[in-house]
Amino acid sequence: MNPWDFIIGNPVLNVLIALSHFLFGQFGLAIIALTIIVRLVTWPLNKRQLKSTKALQDMQPKIQELQKKYGKNQQKLQQEMMKLYKEAGVNPLGCLWPMLVQFPIWIALYQAIMRALATTPENLLDLAHRLYSWGIVNQAVPLSSKFLWLDLGQPDPYWILAIIVGGTMWIQQKMSQAPAVDPRQESTNRMMTLMMPLLFGFLTLMFPSGLALYWAVSNIIGIITQYFATGGWGYLKFRSPFKPKPAKGK
Amino acid sequence: MGTVDGRVVAINSSTQSKQWDYTITPATTIYTAPILHGDLVYIGTYSGQVYALTIARGTERWVYPRTGSMGAIVGSLVIANETIYISSSDGRVYTLDTTYGDLKWKSEPLADKLWTSPTVIGDTLYVSTFDGHIYALSAGTGELLDWSFKAEAGFVSSPVIDENTVYVGSFDRHLYAIKIGGDTPVWKFPKEKPAGNWFWASPVVNEGIIYAGCLDGKLYAIDTETGERLWEYDAGSPIVSSPVLMDNLLIVTSEKGTVHVFDLNANLQNALAPLKVIPINTTVRSSFCAREGVVYIRDENNQLYAVDIDKGEVSWMISLAQKE
Repeated sequence: MNPWDFIIGNPVLNVLIALSHFLFGQFGLAIIALTIIVRLVTWPLNKRQLKSTKALQDMQPKIQELQKKYGKNQQKLQQEMMKLYKEAGVNPLGCLWPMLVQFPIWIALYQAIMRALATTPENLLDLAHRLYSWGIVNQAVPLSSKFLWLDLGQPDPYWILAIIVGGTMWIQQKMSQAPAVDPRQESTNRMMTLMMPLLFGFLTLMFPSGLALYWAVSNIIGIITQYFATGGWGYLKFRSPFKPKPAKGK
Repeated sequence: MGTVDGRVVAINSSTQSKQWDYTITPATTIYTAPILHGDLVYIGTYSGQVYALTIARGTERWVYPRTGSMGAIVGSLVIANETIYISSSDGRVYTLDTTYGDLKWKSEPLADKLWTSPTVIGDTLYVSTFDGHIYALSAGTGELLDWSFKAEAGFVSSPVIDENTVYVGSFDRHLYAIKIGGDTPVWKFPKEKPAGNWFWASPVVNEGIIYAGCLDGKLYAIDTETGERLWEYDAGSPIVSSPVLMDNLLIVTSEKGTVHVFDLNANLQNALAPLKVIPINTTVRSSFCAREGVVYIRDENNQLYAVDIDKGEVSWMISLAQKE
């Protein structure tokens, strides 16, 4: 057995199957429960990320001041901003860690879903060699791939999950994305805020819906924790469609 | 032989050459063993169709359904009373007329999917399901009969019936013996603790002893009355294919490609060594057959091996792959 399967692949697979045993044989509920567990385990990292987000939000007036002051000298602006981050004890790249930590979990989860659902006899035979001797695991297989309107081993044919994944990711990004004074930077930020949800929405159409379910639930938990940890919707502005826009030139 | 790339190949064992080769389009996988009846050979495909081909030339006599699919067919077909019984991945049992391929009846859905073969005894059809049911159906009409059995874990192997008892392997790593009409197992093997893995292959029953191959690599000989272990033999790698009986010989293949031949007339109680151990060093997962002292085995690379038991070696082999 290779180290990956021994350390991550097979434990995730067996935990997922064991969870579905306790959750009425519903593999979809097991994926949701695993998402919550993963979120709890990675909470210390997420907490640091949220702290950074909050600190960045608080620093915005100073950052905007620097951007106004050194807008034409990018090198100087970068130096001053790094100085500001250092003084405040904030690492602007710190928010990447929870994302990076999740990559192996995504891979393990993708493998676990495909292995657990065993759509061919070869898959089922392979599964036999990966299961622990726990009674609950062996009693739970083979799993049903049906959950709500989804076949968890196949992409969602109705695009509902793609919209949820893309939408929740957009909200989460908007909550933490500070507006930039530099129009070019603002344009890049806007592009990134749109590209990532579109990319994940597109991936949802390609990957098994079990994995997309993980992304959707993970995003929703992310939005909730961010809301409570940073005390609101952050940079996400809900504009009333009835509020009149100020007239140009006035 | 059915191949993993969706062809049915007839090999003439006398000339050791291909007699004909029938390609199913669009390409699919064949998990079922071909079954012969009259002048036809029948095969089920993973794309969910049953083909009837002439044994002599391999020409198509009929296909069911002509268009579409009845759901992937994984368990081998069964023929009884001029009827073909098919377990389908749509969870139903279908029955077809052997001559014309007309649908006789289809059962109501019995499970999410059926990957095991049904067993016909007299007028009754028995089906084991992944959700742990044994169902008894009328072989003539497909109606569910009064008796059914439910276990906590699902059943992985096809049911084998002997002396009014169903023997079937479970995902909980036990082999069950269930009296037809009963609601609790007569016994579960092993008694002390579960086996090392699933009893994937259907067992073989002979003169009060059940021989069960397990994915833990062991062949178990069990007393059918008591469920007691008589002896066990370590084949070295998982036993995926069902054992085959030929006269007094029990033939077992292991996944890593070793043929183990046991003489059932010998006193195996104390002599656990098989009569012959013949390595062919290839991966074996599909069912195999034995006739006139020769075991025919198809490996996962579409090679057919003819293993001569007397000589204890591969006497010839042929590639089932399509010629370029």
